[in-house]
Amino acid sequence: MAGASMKDIKLRIKSVESTMQITKAMELVASSKLRRAKERQERCRPYFTELKETLDEIEAATSDFSSPYLQSRDVKKQCLIVIAGDRGLAGGYNANVFKAVTELTQDGTPTCILPIGKRAVDFFTRKGYEIVTTEFAEAADVSIPDCFTLSNLITEGYLSGQFDEVSIVFTQFVSMLTQTPKCEKLLPLEAGEGERKTGLRPLVLYEPDPVTVFNAIVPNYIAGMIYGSMCESVASELGARRTAMDAASKNAAEMIEDLSLRYNRARQGAITQEITEIIAGAEH
Amino acid sequence: MSTFHLKISTPDGLEYEGDVERLRVRMIDGDVCLLARHANYVSAVGAGETAITLESGEVKEAACIGGMLSMLDGEANLIATTFEWKEEIDLDRAKRAKERAEARIAAAKNDKKELMLAEAKLQRALVRINVKQ
Repeated sequence: MAGASMKDIKLRIKSVESTMQITKAMELVASSKLRRAKERQERCRPYFTELKETLDEIEAATSDFSSPYLQSRDVKKQCLIVIAGDRGLAGGYNANVFKAVTELTQDGTPTCILPIGKRAVDFFTRKGYEIVTTEFAEAADVSIPDCFTLSNLITEGYLSGQFDEVSIVFTQFVSMLTQTPKCEKLLPLEAGEGERKTGLRPLVLYEPDPVTVFNAIVPNYIAGMIYGSMCESVASELGARRTAMDAASKNAAEMIEDLSLRYNRARQGAITQEITEIIAGAEH
Repeated sequence: MSTFHLKISTPDGLEYEGDVERLRVRMIDGDVCLLARHANYVSAVGAGETAITLESGEVKEAACIGGMLSMLDGEANLIATTFEWKEEIDLDRAKRAKERAEARIAAAKNDKKELMLAEAKLQRALVRINVKQ
């Protein structure tokens, strides 16, 4: 009896050990990928801040300025771009994003979803939401050109009246340990954001005219916002996975310790029993 | 000839920084060539060939699609969505992309969204091929 139980415990220890190996490996992979994701985000930042500054400058410098991207309309339908992961095993990363979206859509505004990432595609198809496109099922694979395609799709849909408001739901990378889902409005653009610079501004020649330049730059800017959020989400996913895998490894170590103790007890018990039996046999 | 400072940045990082004599870019309404001491100027970039002339007279060409060009206080700033030097363009890949895009356009027929995406892809491929040849 004791022998069988000893064997069981031994097997159990082995299986926990191999699980721990996997969780440890996943943790290491996540941390090294995380560093790269952060670098990618840093590299593209100057490009987009420059565009944003120009947009603000054009808007501030031109009087009687009007662009369809700036006018807010009655929201008959909103479009949500939702960025989630491709895989599970990342703690509450995916679930938190979906919870945020469910809360956002609770007020009954008709919504269409543009999911990015396999988990998001699966979730929203299952829940029966209206889906714009499922072309971006691999969150880790979305490149800069993809973001521009996406942005063209969004701006086109916005201008043609398919939807009246576009927001993006992503996960903000607060720190290694905390990642919070966040919703940001993309379109219509917030007018006159930031402080308006007063005083003399340089005379600038806009060709062919300010509105055309503004409208041509907006899709690029939107693409930048999407790419930035993308990078942030990917970093968050990796961060969440790293934390989850770290916890899993710790749990496994604890379990192994517990099991070893039980194994040794069982072993000792078996030996004691055998000795008792031998002594009992010798006495008679 | 006098030169001016030029910075070319893309979402992938900085592509070029230095002094040039002349910068030619295809804008949304045609080719524009900037020389030193140009007035302040901002415009949106179209899709086509870009060329810079260095002080030594060497001309460097590139494929440049989308973005913005600004010239403020004598410093030019080209913010390009796609920017590839002529040497970096993979001709075979561009040709394959062109074929794929043409096939997609043929298959799309009345699907406007699909047509738009495929046309954009075709245009990018054609620009690359043109610059390379």
